[in-house]
Amino acid sequence: MRFMIIVRSDEEDERGCEPTEEDFLRMGRYNDELLKAGALLAMEGLRPSADGARITFGGETPVVTDGPFAEAKELIAGFWLIQARSRDEAIEWARRIPFTRGEVEVRPAFEWEDFGAAGTPEVRAMEERQRAALANAA
Amino acid sequence: MQFLMMVLSHPDRERDPIVPEEMAEMGEYNDALRKAGLLLSVAGLHPSATGARVDFQDGRTSVTDGPFTESKELVAGFWLLQAESREEVIAWARRVPFRNGRVEIRRVAEGSDTGYETAPPGTRARAGQAEPRDDEERSEK
Repeated sequence: MRFMIIVRSDEEDERGCEPTEEDFLRMGRYNDELLKAGALLAMEGLRPSADGARITFGGETPVVTDGPFAEAKELIAGFWLIQARSRDEAIEWARRIPFTRGEVEVRPAFEWEDFGAAGTPEVRAMEERQRAALANAA
Repeated sequence: MQFLMMVLSHPDRERDPIVPEEMAEMGEYNDALRKAGLLLSVAGLHPSATGARVDFQDGRTSVTDGPFTESKELVAGFWLLQAESREEVIAWARRVPFRNGRVEIRRVAEGSDTGYETAPPGTRARAGQAEPRDDEERSEK
């Protein structure tokens, strides 16, 4: 099962952060553990929402709104995509993140068995081809 | 530059059914992204009812199970893209085959950024002393 661990942002993250080398090393060691366990699929940290944009669908054409976006607590500051055997295992990985404050959200990703009829062989083949191409590119 | 393109959802809209036509359209869209050399990673997420939140406070953690009805915005999925510019990503975001909804684009922090210090996920000021986590509590919602 794949899980996304989403780092919820706060005002400090939105101002831009200044981690020390020690911060980098501490988080690097955690990421190393994920890597060694074969659990790490992807991870990124995001710049403040001031550098971002939102695209809203529903009208005739999509509407673009530039950041920053209010409500820092509703924003995302980064994420990990991990492979875990269970929801509990994913939560255990989240608990071990070396944060002293803040919140992360753990969310299971959709797999084909979740979709029923919509996941036709044609659609599945399309995604399998894409994933194979991504793996080759990596 | 790398960008995260997130699908935003609302707690009230988490259960929108997915129909085969939408799945096929999304597959074609992802194909176009891949052929253009932009697509690094993509995933859709289960509703927040199946998720959990982990809070960090002074080295202690507490776990709360979903759904997260108090949130105004939830993430329903994402694309991680490699692009030349923010404008290029916005142009791609406009082409996402959605009838309704919202997508948020955020630039990934990279070591070569010069505007301010940046970090990989969570490698931030909040990353303080890592204490053993034997004091855990779990709250049910």
